[in-house]
Amino acid sequence: MTTMDKIKSTDAPMNLAYRLRSLLFSQEGVLFIIMIVSVLFLATRTDKFLTVSNLLQQGRFMTEVGLIAIPMTYIIITGGIDLSVGSILGLTAIILGWTWQELSFPLELAIITGIIAGTIAGFINGFFIVRVKVPPLIMTLATLALYRGLAEGISEAKSARGYPEWFFQLGQGDFLGVPTQLWLLIVAVIIFAIILARTQTGRALYAIGNNETGARFSGLTVDRYLLFIYTLSGFMSGLAGYIFVSRVSTTRSDMGTGIELDVIAAVVLGGTSIFGGTGSVIGTMIGVVLIQLLKNGLALTGVTSDATIIVIGSVLIFAILVNNFIQNRRLGM
Amino acid sequence: MIAKQKALPARPKPIHFLGIILAAALLSAYLFLPFANQPELGASTIAMITESKKANELGIFTNGLALIPFASLGIFLLGMWNVIMPKASRAISLMMSVSGLLVIAYFINFIKDYAEEEATYISQMGIGFWIILIVSILTILQILIPRGITEARYRITKLYGNQESIIVFGLLLLIFVIGVANPRFLQERNLSDILSGNAYIAVAALGMSMVIITGNIDISVGSLVGLLAVISGRLVVAGLPTPMAWLIPLIVGGLFGAFIGFLVAYLKIPSIVVTLGMLSIIKGILIIWTNGERVTGMPEDYFLSQFRPLGIPMPIIIMVVLTIIVALWMKYSRTGRAFYALGGNADAARLSGLSQKRLLMTVFILNGVFVGIASVMYSTQFNIIQATPPPGLELSVITASVVGGVSILGGTGTVVGSTLATLLLNFIRSAMIFINVSPFWLKAVQGLLILFTVLADLIRRRRQRL
Amino acid sequence: MRKTFAITLVLGLLVALFSVPTGAQDDRWDGSDDLETNPLACGMEEMMEEDAEEGDEEEMMEPMEYDGGSATDAPDMAGQDIVLVDVPKLVGIGYFAATTQGQQEAAEELGNVTVTTDAPTEANIDDQIQVIDSYITQGVDGILFAANDPVAIAPVLRTALESGIHVVGYDANSEPDAREWFVNQAEFNGIGKAMIDSLVDQMGEDASFGIVTSTFTTPNQARWISEMWAYASDCYPDLEWLETLEAQEDAVLSFQQAQTLINKYGEDLDGIVAMTSVATPNSADAVQQAGLCEDIAVVGLATPNDMKPYVNDGCVRDAILWNPVDLGYAAVYVMRAIIDGEFAPGDTSVMAGKLGELQVVNGSEVLLGAPFVFNAENINDFDF
Repeated sequence: MTTMDKIKSTDAPMNLAYRLRSLLFSQEGVLFIIMIVSVLFLATRTDKFLTVSNLLQQGRFMTEVGLIAIPMTYIIITGGIDLSVGSILGLTAIILGWTWQELSFPLELAIITGIIAGTIAGFINGFFIVRVKVPPLIMTLATLALYRGLAEGISEAKSARGYPEWFFQLGQGDFLGVPTQLWLLIVAVIIFAIILARTQTGRALYAIGNNETGARFSGLTVDRYLLFIYTLSGFMSGLAGYIFVSRVSTTRSDMGTGIELDVIAAVVLGGTSIFGGTGSVIGTMIGVVLIQLLKNGLALTGVTSDATIIVIGSVLIFAILVNNFIQNRRLGM
Repeated sequence: MIAKQKALPARPKPIHFLGIILAAALLSAYLFLPFANQPELGASTIAMITESKKANELGIFTNGLALIPFASLGIFLLGMWNVIMPKASRAISLMMSVSGLLVIAYFINFIKDYAEEEATYISQMGIGFWIILIVSILTILQILIPRGITEARYRITKLYGNQESIIVFGLLLLIFVIGVANPRFLQERNLSDILSGNAYIAVAALGMSMVIITGNIDISVGSLVGLLAVISGRLVVAGLPTPMAWLIPLIVGGLFGAFIGFLVAYLKIPSIVVTLGMLSIIKGILIIWTNGERVTGMPEDYFLSQFRPLGIPMPIIIMVVLTIIVALWMKYSRTGRAFYALGGNADAARLSGLSQKRLLMTVFILNGVFVGIASVMYSTQFNIIQATPPPGLELSVITASVVGGVSILGGTGTVVGSTLATLLLNFIRSAMIFINVSPFWLKAVQGLLILFTVLADLIRRRRQRL
Repeated sequence: MRKTFAITLVLGLLVALFSVPTGAQDDRWDGSDDLETNPLACGMEEMMEEDAEEGDEEEMMEPMEYDGGSATDAPDMAGQDIVLVDVPKLVGIGYFAATTQGQQEAAEELGNVTVTTDAPTEANIDDQIQVIDSYITQGVDGILFAANDPVAIAPVLRTALESGIHVVGYDANSEPDAREWFVNQAEFNGIGKAMIDSLVDQMGEDASFGIVTSTFTTPNQARWISEMWAYASDCYPDLEWLETLEAQEDAVLSFQQAQTLINKYGEDLDGIVAMTSVATPNSADAVQQAGLCEDIAVVGLATPNDMKPYVNDGCVRDAILWNPVDLGYAAVYVMRAIIDGEFAPGDTSVMAGKLGELQVVNGSEVLLGAPFVFNAENINDFDF
């Protein structure tokens, strides 16, 4: 045999079995298995869980978290974080309601204004993080309070109610049998998963997460990417705010409180490392779905909320543990 | 950029303690020396003046006397910090002078006021009054007293040498400005209420700062405080002796910390994940266990936070003492310095032979113990212990640490900074109410001020950069 | 360049900070979403209970039309065992533990009712909606609720009605057509009157008071406060309302806000009115720790157990509440009556076990009774 043949014969077999195995045991794969196992287990306990209508309804409920989790994935991949997403959601909701009710904007304009406000809020985050070099945790911690405060101040504790019927189509209606907002989520997931996995932007984000200084030196416009993802985070939070208002038919200044923890839990569960450099949108989505289905399945089997949060917390730790273990074994460490 | 090699700090010299001595003198004089020798009035001058002033509008000056203990507290902390960071001596001097100036300003107004009304009062001022006045003048002169250390040429920018300086400055400025706008803010009782009511946050922030310095985080603090508080209350109601009910939360807190530390250090799960999970788990346990039932009926001697040894509320004493201990420990002990190393450069720490795993376990156990102390301070404040965790506590604690200069990238910051930041943040909250900021905008103003403090720190850091 | 920009921005923030409405006491928040207030007649009665009947009769001059919703095609379960779920605002606080207690009592008495309480661990509208939704999927026979937000909860409740599930609310209402009946613990104006009367009785008609509430957005609190103010403006125009502070449902914050009121207003403060069962005992604690029991009256809503130390000490004269145990009890009985067909739109009263006959007010509300005043004479008789 020639040397080349020898070398070729020692290559890892690139056949289907190998591909399947590496997919299965990737972080997303392990999580997917955990999800399937949990779902099947819960399905054996109650027959109301795995029905189409129930699953679609859960899809409706998880859209806000899902949408926000997409840019959060990007942000955490670059080693940053955004704690202000909940406050931006609330701010968007308030501006939507306030411009419509107090300033008598036509409702369409109010919606757009709200989402633009959210985007600007995200941009301000990004600006300070990139140009003034405030660490993301600190900046978004401060804007968490600031944006929430703005929402309280602008709304003066009043709610905006009485929206016309068409407004609820997004949050409470269906399109072709599937909740309207779920279509939005699916489209967003496809777009942003492709961006992350296949485009230069995605690769740049991974590079920034792995070694920001190195990325800068190799010519990447790091600042522009970072600014983009924080602005995107603001935009998605704004969109989620609009969907939320549409779903609950009212605006309150405390909307979105605490959602950042749910989002971060889903992102981290999905295999994104908090230190940056790894992660995927698909993994995050599996995380979002897993948490939502767990909450729902447990509720349907009669477990009350206080016990459910213990389960969710344990699953979070456990899933990461299992994933760590498997990944370490794969790497032969 | 390569970080500057920090040599081991010089051992503190006596001259470094000048600030502490002066502060102690000031405080003692205020507490123990009578102001006037007028036993027939049956009261000290303070009470006498307060009585007469009540008739006309609340005067800033009577209550300005209350500034003395707080100025001395500030000076004390700064003096302590001077021990830790000797290079900032000039900044300390300047700030002590500012505090002294404040005190003197009040005295001048006080004297002027009474000189106009009744000249006799001046002569009736007791020896204590004069001692305090002289000590205040001395603090001004501090800046001229030669220091024992050779120092780079004096620069006003040294004033901003540290995040802690900015906070103290901001604090004094805030107190002064609000005090002028609404003199009632300066009442001793008000200042003391604000300090003691939030002391438990500062104590929890001690632990949190240590954790953040090592490059980790703990967002389960709130739930744990809630749980430990209920444990403490139920133990004492069940008949356990009070000191046990105070100590057991510390042990349980340490155990929880050990568990978290184990997961982080040995199983290599990121701390944010572990504590995120623990947040829910502990909260669920608390709710299921208590079923909404609050704890009442604790015996009188249980209420630690309501004691006032020497007239100073207990929480303040605990906060100050613990801050000092931890600050010194972080600076001078091997483990403390190792925390900084761990956060700043984990590889270097590992290569230098320190057991990374053990260090992480230690820091989380310590954090758990401090959370335990905070929970006891929290549970002994009122007659009822709630069955729900204090909302938003982890956010307050993290904000305090971060605003206090503890860098989330790990490796820098001191616990004195986090304590001062807790004070500042809570003073802001209360101050806003005193100057009638519209209630809807309170939170926005707070957020703005946090942002401002953070930005000020960043600008300072950038200016100092080589 | 960057530096100057950043500094300018910071200065800009500072300017914005100080141009924010300070001293804007006209901005003082004075209650709910501009809903109508309906103050009762002035004058203090000796016995609050009598007052309620008078109030009722005034209200009932023209009985409102029934404005509740109805369950579509609900299965006829008259006399059969039913499964109910109770979804209060949140779990883990004493008030709702008490309502649960009442519900369990009623279930035991009736014998053919099972009630489970399940609610989010934080007062969160989204979580509450999801909990209710999961029980709709599970297929319970009836839902009892205490809403975090009246409008937000309406869509999911309507879905429940459409699925044939009966819906009865208590403590915190939803939009009327989203539920069949609402058990009202006390009329908003009754609470307002009771609080102001107690304050005036203790501190005189020219008292100045501050309010400690949960948040500005909590609907019940907002209504009570606006009713209080409407009543006070009518009957005691010399009362001065100084300020309202938020304390969420946080014990420490309630304590600190009360302290802030005490310190800020000094001798000018005659009373603290506390609007939640967490704020009242902690405000009382603040007053007690400041040694100002004689100078400041604390009036508020609270459970008797929480207030016993202060009332027995003489620091607080009365605490006002209804009986949450009775509230939960009544809710279950109302639900049972609906399912058994004994209580329908248009009826003017319903039998509620040991509570006797409860009146229907406001079209589709069942009134529990008058606000109850706990004071030194009777507080030790209660245990919740």
